[in-house]
Amino acid sequence: MNCAEWQAQINSFADAELTPRGTQEFRAHADECRECASAALAAMETKAAVRRAGKRCTAPPELRARLLLQVQASSDTAVRMTSPKANVVNWPRSAVAAAAMILLAAGLFFLASRERRPNALGEFADLHVSTLASANPVEVVSTDRHTVKPWFQGRIPFTFDLPELQGSPFTLTGGRVTYFHQEPGAQLIFAEQKHLISAFIFRDTPQLAIPGEAFADRGTSFNLQTWTQDGLRYVLVSDINTAALKQLADLLQHY
Amino acid sequence: MAVPLLDPLFNFARWLTHDSVEAEDLVQETFAKALRGFGSFVPGTDFRAWMFRILRNTFLTSRTGLQVKLTVPLDPDDDRLATVTWETPESLALVSATRDALQAALEALPVHYREVVLLCDVEEMKYAETAEVLGVPIGTVMSRLARGRKALRQILADDKAATGGKLDSTR
Repeated sequence: MNCAEWQAQINSFADAELTPRGTQEFRAHADECRECASAALAAMETKAAVRRAGKRCTAPPELRARLLLQVQASSDTAVRMTSPKANVVNWPRSAVAAAAMILLAAGLFFLASRERRPNALGEFADLHVSTLASANPVEVVSTDRHTVKPWFQGRIPFTFDLPELQGSPFTLTGGRVTYFHQEPGAQLIFAEQKHLISAFIFRDTPQLAIPGEAFADRGTSFNLQTWTQDGLRYVLVSDINTAALKQLADLLQHY
Repeated sequence: MAVPLLDPLFNFARWLTHDSVEAEDLVQETFAKALRGFGSFVPGTDFRAWMFRILRNTFLTSRTGLQVKLTVPLDPDDDRLATVTWETPESLALVSATRDALQAALEALPVHYREVVLLCDVEEMKYAETAEVLGVPIGTVMSRLARGRKALRQILADDKAATGGKLDSTR
């Protein structure tokens, strides 16, 4: 590929929309090409600058209050939504009541999904602990990624890639099949000196929609890192510090 | 009770309409429509994209939106990736631009570019999600994004040339 073709990929690179392989190839090219590297850097800085500049205003409290009134008005026989330019809408009582229920349900849905985050992560921490407590923490004992990865064939309904760990502080200990909300997935155990790290890999389902990337479970003092990649949800759990966990996450993301 | 997405939706509405009062109306109408049409939302799918899509469609049928629609140039909206050159001075103009200059440049951007840049960069939506909001293929999102960002860099570079680099001194 020539530089023009690489540069056509810069937006996708800055938007993290390239495949892991594509990202790796792009990085490899940028390592050698000063022009493409500086263009990619400019694109990423621009994205960050637009993000900061684009977050310009929050909803005025009056609007928030009006939206809430919209719900509370459900006890009236009809709601007259008046706004300077919008049409006047008359709603029959039943429709308004239904609408109020739906908004409440939507609110609860969101509260529930917010609640789910710590819960889901807590469950991963539990899985990690119960694995370590087990007499047989791993089903396939091997430090060789070319042994561990094929072992999962036919045991889980997807495949994943493992990075070369040579030269990193991490070693692969082995892996096992695990379940989360009735979904089979892979649990890989990595070691960093005496610390053990669980890497959970599942198909990304709405139940696993965890916003954010890094979490610290205060109650158990575990650190967690999570991300999605190629339709898979990765969750790392360990007692090692956040920076080290991030390092392993980076390795897994850019194998 | 929490009204999730209110701030992002309002922010986006404000960028679309250029006007705070109009943005408030737009958000209020969006929520009203969402309530009425909640049955058409498929649980498990992207709720945020669904809300943004309602807001954008509502905007396009509003008075300002109709004006915008009429003035949208027939851009070459093909799915092929736009060939974009990365002129270094322009890229640098963007990086060194102040927040005010960047906001002015975003305001000046045609709305069909502005919306795609905002969804991708400010809301940090993936291409697939942005495509869902705009109701266009992913390839169109990518080509519009490339053209939009290029136009943004151009506006800032022109800006900077016009003010003789004074923007730097205000930082």
